[in-house]
Amino acid sequence: MNPSQRPVCVLIAALGGEGGGLLTSWIVDAATACNLPVQSTSIPGVAQRTGATTYYIEIFPQPFDQLDGSDPVMGLYPAPGRVDIMVASELLEAARALENGFVTPDRTTLVASTHRVYAISEKSNLTDGRYDEESVQNAIAELSHQQYCSDFLIMAQQRDSALNAVLLGLVANTKQLPIPTEAFVDAIKDRGIAVDSNLRGFQAGLGWTPGREKEIDEPVQSVPAGLPDSLQRRVDALPAVLTDIVRVGAARVMDFQDIEYAELYLDRVDKVTAIDSAKREYALGRETARYLALWMTYEDIIRVADLKSRPERYLRVREEIQAKPHEPVLINEFLKPGVDEFAAVLPEKLGRSLRNKRDRLRWLSFSLRLGSHTILGHLLMRLLAGCRRWRRKSLRWQEEQALIERWLDAVCRAAEKDYAFGLEAVLCANLNKGYGDTFARGRGNFLRILESLIESPLRSESLEPDIATRLKSARTAALSDDTGAVLDAALPENVAVKPD
Amino acid sequence: MERSFAREVKSLRLGNGDVFHGEGILAITKALLQSGVSYVGGYQGAPVSHMMDVLADARDLLDEMGVHFEASASEAAAAAMLGASINYPMRGAVVWKSTVGTNVASDALSNLASAGVVGGALIILGEDYGEGASIIQERTHAFALKSTIWLLDPRPHHATMVNLVEKAFELSEVSNTPVMVEYRIRTCHMHGRFPCKDNQRPTLSRKALLEEPAFDQERITLPPSTYSQEKAKVEKRLPAAIEFIREHQLNEVFDGDLTELGIICQGGLYNSTIQALQHYGLADTFGKSRIPILALNVTYPLVPEEVTGFCAGKRAVLMVEEGNPDYLEQAVNVLLRKADLNTRIHGKDVLPQAGEYIAEVLLKGIGRFLEKASPAGIDTGGLNDSIESAIHAKTRAGELLAGPVPKRPPGFCTGCPERPVFSAIKLLEKEIGKVHIAADIGCHTFSTLPPFHIGNTVLGYGLGLASSAAVSPALPSRTVSIMGDGGFWHNGLTSGVSGALFNKADSVLVIMDNGYSSATGQQYIPSTGVNYQAQPTGMTIASALKGIGVRWLKTVETYRVGKMMRTLRRALTTTKPGLKVIIAQSECQLARQRRIKPTVRKKLADGKRVVRTRYGVDETTCTGDHSCIRLSGCPSLTIKPNPDLLRIDPIAHVDNNCVGCGLCGEVADAAVLCPSFYRARIIQNPSRWDIWLDRLRRRVVFNTDATSSGSE
Repeated sequence: MNPSQRPVCVLIAALGGEGGGLLTSWIVDAATACNLPVQSTSIPGVAQRTGATTYYIEIFPQPFDQLDGSDPVMGLYPAPGRVDIMVASELLEAARALENGFVTPDRTTLVASTHRVYAISEKSNLTDGRYDEESVQNAIAELSHQQYCSDFLIMAQQRDSALNAVLLGLVANTKQLPIPTEAFVDAIKDRGIAVDSNLRGFQAGLGWTPGREKEIDEPVQSVPAGLPDSLQRRVDALPAVLTDIVRVGAARVMDFQDIEYAELYLDRVDKVTAIDSAKREYALGRETARYLALWMTYEDIIRVADLKSRPERYLRVREEIQAKPHEPVLINEFLKPGVDEFAAVLPEKLGRSLRNKRDRLRWLSFSLRLGSHTILGHLLMRLLAGCRRWRRKSLRWQEEQALIERWLDAVCRAAEKDYAFGLEAVLCANLNKGYGDTFARGRGNFLRILESLIESPLRSESLEPDIATRLKSARTAALSDDTGAVLDAALPENVAVKPD
Repeated sequence: MERSFAREVKSLRLGNGDVFHGEGILAITKALLQSGVSYVGGYQGAPVSHMMDVLADARDLLDEMGVHFEASASEAAAAAMLGASINYPMRGAVVWKSTVGTNVASDALSNLASAGVVGGALIILGEDYGEGASIIQERTHAFALKSTIWLLDPRPHHATMVNLVEKAFELSEVSNTPVMVEYRIRTCHMHGRFPCKDNQRPTLSRKALLEEPAFDQERITLPPSTYSQEKAKVEKRLPAAIEFIREHQLNEVFDGDLTELGIICQGGLYNSTIQALQHYGLADTFGKSRIPILALNVTYPLVPEEVTGFCAGKRAVLMVEEGNPDYLEQAVNVLLRKADLNTRIHGKDVLPQAGEYIAEVLLKGIGRFLEKASPAGIDTGGLNDSIESAIHAKTRAGELLAGPVPKRPPGFCTGCPERPVFSAIKLLEKEIGKVHIAADIGCHTFSTLPPFHIGNTVLGYGLGLASSAAVSPALPSRTVSIMGDGGFWHNGLTSGVSGALFNKADSVLVIMDNGYSSATGQQYIPSTGVNYQAQPTGMTIASALKGIGVRWLKTVETYRVGKMMRTLRRALTTTKPGLKVIIAQSECQLARQRRIKPTVRKKLADGKRVVRTRYGVDETTCTGDHSCIRLSGCPSLTIKPNPDLLRIDPIAHVDNNCVGCGLCGEVADAAVLCPSFYRARIIQNPSRWDIWLDRLRRRVVFNTDATSSGSE
């Protein structure tokens, strides 16, 4: 017995329901089989319900028979600077371990899956609340002694196994524990839980070497559709940095309506790029091309029916839900168009009068669980989609085109005076999104900002130097909560442009 | 509860010469059986639910031994069960989560402690304190002091803990006093080993009956007996206890060469204390410390001579005591004063007043103690550097990371039937304005966290309705109280419903009827339908409510968000006076999944037709505003990078953990949110008719051949 020998300390961070408890049991069982003193503990509690939790294990490297009957005193808490193997089931949990000081360059081997399971604050953000992954990667590189980091969830899924089994394989792979590989294999077999698939996962983790596993797939960008020559020529005439995004935009707009509409899109883009500059890398033109295309392809029921009744959409759903080729898939759409949605696609006058009777016509809004896999359901969707030939006469078309022109005009005038101001004015278009109440609220915010922080300042003699910053903070405020309270505080007082 | 604890039950049967491997709370369960316990009761709650779960599954073993086990209706009922040990020499143990369970039990505990016991009476407490706790942060110590119940806080070491359970029964019997044994969360879940003894059949049990009931006026808690009982506590029971603790050395002294210093710690904090000393090179792996340590496995009562004897001749002693008030530090100071000793006691001056003593806290606290005491032979100059080097990485990570790492508060599980109720409330509030919501204890308390933030107060288990009593009259609109089915049977039926009816309250109560006490691990409750002996109970929430006079009563399936909204709106606006009760009914999804998964797996393997339902979001129509997420918070409704080159914000996405509850679609409907949600039903092992129809549809609809489309 050697009193200066210390236990090997393993900390496992996982989310409730991910099998961190079983992973801990496997390690404890393997150590026990080797007759090694081992102690583990955990704090499941409410964290079992989707929260973050940890499991802590200490293993003494000398077997009991060499200890003359003494028991090592082992800790119940991980201590900063005293963790040998840090296992994190997900990237943010690795970040949390770093934040708590459990990963140190002199000692800690980090085993972490780099996939993301987003926290509620990241998910519920009105735009993009995702945590900066690069900062985590940098901290990992600087603060851990060795790294076993990759997207191990994909690895597990590819082998039809579970993440905790892959992580066990990686723990064995690090060779930091005084436990031979066979002991882990036996532990999986003895526990008797999904033995075959867990062994597959274990072997995958065991055989992993840094850099050989395929990195996370970049999100598949939709392939830009081809454009008619006449349009393509116009796109090619643009500065090179803009061609990709404008081509996608033009194709989207054409897909939404027709070639004539796509030409209008290009006209509008040209108007903005004319005042843009290479020095600024055409940021104004690029963002205008983006938001203009999204705006011009607004989601009315015609568009939604069109998108939902395409063959590629059917195939995408099959893929997403992992249906096997021979399995029939039945798809029901959750549609509940309200009075406003109907009014939007009706001719202008009719639409307006319908909208005015909104309160009396609530019954028009009913839930439709349309079976888009059925022949009848599909035909109905195609029928709706076919209404696009009359779309130019619709109420919403008229309204959107007018507002787009108003916005573009403001953007150009703003950019001519102050480039940053113009760019911020472009980005405000991101407030126009969603459906129903969400859309109405966003549109309302957009109009308030357009009036008070873009058009109104443009009417004055000279622009305040911080106008771009103020516009930016108003836009951020509008996107920081969905009650509008933060925006109210950020806007000049006398503005009250109500949403229609 | 469909889980099986067969493996754990097996370890309860181990005998002489066997080595037990397992969790702390299971080791304690085994220790009860080794001590000849006659009866066990309790109420579930982390971190001690496991004892109840395993014993409920160990029916055969308990029957063989004649041990009576009962899942008590509440902690008060469990504590009252210990009344069996007042007159009869029966060893009994009850278990619950503390301090909340002890609060509930305290009426019975006071009476029990006053009457005194002849059979050993143990109260096993899971101390839900610190990281991972789900309750208010208080100390059980106060209950021990005020009721004169002895309190053990064993050192986290299986053999020691098991031995102390046996000793606790003896202590209880020699001093005629019930004994509390507290175990912290990490200790309950600590995996370790100990050499077993054979289980002991109880001397009195279902198999060895009492001859006749005993009566003793002295055991009745009514004057004049209460006066003599109070005297007995201090004159007989306390001295007897102190004598036993001293004689059997329940507290442990570990010698060290730095005799001018000492550390007194609660037994439960011994390992952490050693860990911190190891950091400073003052203790070795086997716990050999250079500073002498007195580990108090018994924290009430203290043995005066033990404390003064340990402190005598020392310059400074550190009291390591978690939580506040600092009862032990005060008591030690009083003992030293009385003994006229001048040893300086440190404690909450170098350690925090509040909060769990995790590794880093003790490391810093002991460092400060060493600095203040600066013993000869230790270079205290390097202490700070030593702490700094330990937490250097933490500081550096703070600089490198983009900001505080987002928290992951607990939330409703995927497909939880309680979530839709709060989606409905949130939607209704947009329509009719804010409503005062009196929340309760249970999974539904998660409604107070993101994304719902629903619930204005939490007053205790089953007390949702009672807590709204004075708010209702003070608000223009009715209040809504929440109560779980667990809380309803625990006390809500009486403290809430009958109180509201009696006082003619005009408010709304929503009862979550999911079939189990879900938050603690899906234990059975009266409305589950059966008890642990699989006997039908015939008890329902609705019949209980009707029985005591509730007239406005609606039962709504929770997943019908639209219907739930309509029912709530009606309850809040109807002109009918009185209590309006809505039973929100749907089975706990965790329990349901556990129940149906094996069946589905078997059906699939047998080639039978199975329809798998799940939901999805169309990536082409999702605009990335995430309002669906803010109304749901379902773990499987998440985000993913936008596949669209034009769009930047991540889009909503339903991952493959979806259990097909349909809430996201219902919410999209009820909120007129967005048309992106779809329900997909995948027909596994399709029939010929399914295949024929599918081919026809695909050919007509998409003009594709069924066999070549789809993907692997």
